[in-house]
Amino acid sequence: MPLNRTTSGDRWRVRPDGPDKVTGRLPYLTDLSLPGMLHGRVLRSPYPHARIVSIRTEKAKAIPGVCAVLTSADVPGLNRFGIARPDQPVFCEDRVRFIGDAVAAVAAETEALAAYALTQIEVDYEPLPVVDDPESALSPDSVKLFEHGNVLHRSDYGCGDVEAGFAACRHIVEETYSTPRQMHTYMETEGGLFVPEPNGRLTVYAPTQHGFMDRMQLARILNRPEADIRVVSSPIGGSFGGKDELNVQPYGALLALACGRPVKLHNSRWESVRAGLKRHPMKITMKTGTDEHGRLLAHQVRIVSDAGPYSTLSAEVLNFAVEHVIGPYRFGAVKVESVSVFTNNGMSGEFRGFGGNQAIFALEGQMDRLAEKLGIDPWTFRLMNMRQPGDPGPLGQPIAQTDGARQVWEALADCRLWKEKAAAGNRSETRPPWIKTGYGAALVMHGAGLGVGIPDPAGGRLTLAGDGKIEAAFGYEEFGQGLIASLEQMLIEQFGFDAQDLRIVIGDTDAVPDSGSSTASRATSMMWQALKRLHPPFATALRKQASRALGVGMEKLVLGRGGIRDAESGSLLISYGELAKTASEPIVAETKFAYPTSPVDRVGAHYLYTYASVAVKVEVNTLTGRVKLLDQFHAVAAGPVVNPQGYLGQIEGGSGMALGFALTEDAVMDKGMYLTRNLDTYLIPTIAELSGGFEVLPIEELPEGDKHGPRGVGEIGSVGLAPAIAAAVHDAVGKRVNKLPIDPALLLEKPVFLNKAVEWR
Amino acid sequence: MIDPKLASAAETFTLQCVINKRPVSVDVPPAKRLLCILREDLHLTGTKRSCDIGRCGACMVLVDGKPVNSCLTMAYQCQGKNITTIEGLAADGALNRVQKCFLEEGGYQCGYCTPGMIVTVTALLNKNPEPSMAEIEEALSGNLCRCTGYGGIIRSVLKAAEQGGRRHAGRHESA
Ligand code: FES
Ligand code: FES
Repeated sequence: MPLNRTTSGDRWRVRPDGPDKVTGRLPYLTDLSLPGMLHGRVLRSPYPHARIVSIRTEKAKAIPGVCAVLTSADVPGLNRFGIARPDQPVFCEDRVRFIGDAVAAVAAETEALAAYALTQIEVDYEPLPVVDDPESALSPDSVKLFEHGNVLHRSDYGCGDVEAGFAACRHIVEETYSTPRQMHTYMETEGGLFVPEPNGRLTVYAPTQHGFMDRMQLARILNRPEADIRVVSSPIGGSFGGKDELNVQPYGALLALACGRPVKLHNSRWESVRAGLKRHPMKITMKTGTDEHGRLLAHQVRIVSDAGPYSTLSAEVLNFAVEHVIGPYRFGAVKVESVSVFTNNGMSGEFRGFGGNQAIFALEGQMDRLAEKLGIDPWTFRLMNMRQPGDPGPLGQPIAQTDGARQVWEALADCRLWKEKAAAGNRSETRPPWIKTGYGAALVMHGAGLGVGIPDPAGGRLTLAGDGKIEAAFGYEEFGQGLIASLEQMLIEQFGFDAQDLRIVIGDTDAVPDSGSSTASRATSMMWQALKRLHPPFATALRKQASRALGVGMEKLVLGRGGIRDAESGSLLISYGELAKTASEPIVAETKFAYPTSPVDRVGAHYLYTYASVAVKVEVNTLTGRVKLLDQFHAVAAGPVVNPQGYLGQIEGGSGMALGFALTEDAVMDKGMYLTRNLDTYLIPTIAELSGGFEVLPIEELPEGDKHGPRGVGEIGSVGLAPAIAAAVHDAVGKRVNKLPIDPALLLEKPVFLNKAVEWR
Repeated sequence: MIDPKLASAAETFTLQCVINKRPVSVDVPPAKRLLCILREDLHLTGTKRSCDIGRCGACMVLVDGKPVNSCLTMAYQCQGKNITTIEGLAADGALNRVQKCFLEEGGYQCGYCTPGMIVTVTALLNKNPEPSMAEIEEALSGNLCRCTGYGGIIRSVLKAAEQGGRRHAGRHESA
């Protein structure tokens, strides 16, 4: 059944954070202000690569109303940050490596004054040659960004003998695919408020996807105990991976502590573009071959990823791409080589899909090309080569088995759009001759969780608080996905509570346990698992307390709306408020565990996967070269739907981002400089591009005995659309796309009527 | 770059206008942007800042009933005007029809584009209670949303139009 409000019935709920969002009452962290607060600004490098000869701050410091001007000399702890490998300078000491590198920061009484003070900081640079092409950065005579060279990370994988495999192939397809530097483009740019507290602690109000990670990184920079820092990190006006790494936090924290006053920072869009993360541009070369029947015999892949100047999670993204260029298919032999390269381009980093988007665009492109060579229907070709139940994962690792790949394959073959495609062949089109329509499809297998070898903790806490509220505390973040709503819905459906009984606490390191990050499509799965573990002890503790208070046997009591109820009649016996009063101390249940991983020694290999199939119909205008998305179908096999509205929203929203990835989005750089600074030249889809048909079919069924419950759906919607569009474009005009966003020039054709005019003469 | 001496010397004037049905009088430089006046001087932070150049619609407010990007509107242009922000749409705490539909249909995720979106839709339906899909697209093409893919937003707008008395043909479906 397609997922929508009607088919969801009562399970379609108004989100608890909704009323404050539709009224504008919800204070985002960039909306906060305090009396007496200062305004912070960061001075960033005007050069993509340069040596810093000297920095003089005296003039700026002398301006009345300027309270602090900080440089690397003012960092008490580690002058570096980075989630996986801290190699990005908070303030550059003697060298800048990209156009967003920070050199100094100021705090002043007004924003205008802070902006002026930046102009009064004198920095002498000696420009260095710019390394802007990852391929040439690998050559031995390239200028090196670091002493150890320009290679950030390599990841290879091999299985079987590819040379022998290719020798036995009847058909071989070779192609190089390139993908754009996509920007997250969260509507709320980075920012926050940094408050030194009277007791000496520091409160950081700034969006992030993992409050405890920020706290750890800030403690390292500030050289103070983590316990002295409180990070309040939700609500967030969008993140998509982009606010996972530190952004303004180090500057806000250092300035606030230096001045002893609250400091606010809120990036302009240009500063966000300049300093922020982007999706890794990748060049993926694939050689893939089959025997005469269409069995995949050999698959050879080389990935070159542009990491920009510092690490953040580039190595992890590369590992993910290596796994996903193999994907849901059985190959006789596989050989993957990959490298993530330091350049003086903008920072690349974590972004919804995490390397899967690039990898799967290439992999699905190969499948379509091979099917064409073989004269086999491309969808059938995928089924012929699909991994079978019991097969290991892409890296040969044991995985939690589901029948997801086949389920989504069948759902697509059976969907309205695909039947329409079959029928379209014999229907005459009434459109003008320069409008061509086409259909295309893609298959996606996407890993969730951080993978083998990376700490991936989870957990949560339930408390019957003194005031009678059932308090659910989790260390996750609300960046729009509906995390609070999903948690509320699970508590209601699994425990029988009423929404009024609940208080949900997230996004505050002082108030929540560390539940790991809200990334990698993991948060909803982990909350579900945590509640499953918490249910027995918490329910028992509440019933035991009620039994004591009421003098009734525990077996006669159940949890219900508003309080403990009679198991038989359902009538309310004692409210949670009254129950709390009878307890001498709060009733608490807490759990800690880790995201399930595959028992394999391969860093990053995944254990849980979500599967999806995507079908689209597009229209290509050969006069303008523009592609219009008319209709889309998504089947998603991710286990039970926790929250229908959230699930639908994730697939719709992810797909909207993927449309930009496919057609318009690229933060173009030239010699290390961004050519696009704002939303006038960086084009994300508008409503006009996304008003076509849309259907989501969730496949909830899991194999019997599956213990893992809902798989994540946060990323998968953003992955399959681009390859499906590329296939549909080919169907429409017979041209293969190997580069995103699709260049309209590729699709332009001399209009037929011009031909006629010429012929007529 | 702003010279602070010039900036502080810039004359202020007393902006008098009506904001959310209340008379407002505030001393500001004539070129101060309405977005900043709302957020900084009046602490009406429901109006959001995102691009500062009139491209995203997060800062949308109504000036004499017309949707306007407050990041492109200067103080002197607001003199004597009647301004409504997102905070002024829920008169006496009761949500307007558009807000209700966004809430029920899930026309938001992170919510950062939502105030601007709701302001624009309110203006659209006031002017044109029965918009076609093409008219909806045109009216909302200056309001960007990065989270929803516009699915929930379209459902909310259609619902609000429908509750205004019109059954809508719905979003484009391919033939
Ligand atoms: S902030 Fe005004 S249109 Fe973007
Ligand atoms: S809901 Fe996040 S930008 Fe629209």
